[in-house]
Amino acid sequence: MGADSPPSAPSAPVALAAGDAMPVATVGPITRTDIVRYAGAGGDFNPIHHDEPFARDLGLPSVFSMGMLQGGALAQRVGRWVGPENVVSMSMRFTGQVWPGDTLTLAARVVAVDGNAGTAGGDAVAGGPTATIEATATRDGGEVVVRLAARVRIASPGGHA
Amino acid sequence: MASVADIGRDLGEAHFRVDESKVRELATALLDDDPVYTDEGAARAAGFDGIPVPLTASVLVAFSTPGGLIGPALDLGMEVGRLLHGGSEWDYLRPLRVGDELTGRVVVADVTQREGSRGGAMTLVVLETEFRDAAGAPVLRRRETWIERGA
Repeated sequence: MGADSPPSAPSAPVALAAGDAMPVATVGPITRTDIVRYAGAGGDFNPIHHDEPFARDLGLPSVFSMGMLQGGALAQRVGRWVGPENVVSMSMRFTGQVWPGDTLTLAARVVAVDGNAGTAGGDAVAGGPTATIEATATRDGGEVVVRLAARVRIASPGGHA
Repeated sequence: MASVADIGRDLGEAHFRVDESKVRELATALLDDDPVYTDEGAARAAGFDGIPVPLTASVLVAFSTPGGLIGPALDLGMEVGRLLHGGSEWDYLRPLRVGDELTGRVVVADVTQREGSRGGAMTLVVLETEFRDAAGAPVLRRRETWIERGA
């Protein structure tokens, strides 16, 4: 929980245009307590994330965080920006490990808007504009550890090309 | 060890309830201090019908799955010390609600092997879960990629 506390997540779709950026947020430093809290909350009891001797026996310097902790934290922050119930689809790739002591920078921006989403084939969006969001969680030093993409319903196409 | 012969294999289903206390606990564990996830009054003031559900709440199925989150991967013979979660994807067919009774059925969507960057064969397994509500309607689809690093 950073010192910055933005407004609550919106329920209705928000107006977004291509290039719009989410206010950058930071979380951390991530502690072993954060990791253990997520293990209990999310049901991930892989010992590599909480059992230090187990992790060291594998040659690791320490336990490390679950992708779904930093990925979920990034998703929560994106949801707080666009409204969690407006997200149509989301994907995340875990591209690096997060270690105790890491502080993460969470960033997101609108890469495209589609004013006629109802014509896009094969998905559940029944009309109305959507935006494609790309987001990252980045460790101190610049290593990207989560790459997230989401398609969200928006109120207005804004900068629709 | 998982192999291409596992593609299409049904790993069974799990039932769970989207419980209010687990939603609060999950939002807190995801370092989110937004009161809409912990206070129904704040959620309603923000325009929600009730407490909204975190976008990654599908993890809660783990509490009803033998072996937890990594249970299905272990069922396929993947080794816990070499197991990594590569990523996940979700299609949200409708917002989940606190109180939803969900059933998730897990199927092996894909298994591939390739040479790891540090040598040794790396196995990538994609597990697909369709979650249905109490009425039997699909509400969420999830694809997870699990990686077993080379020995």
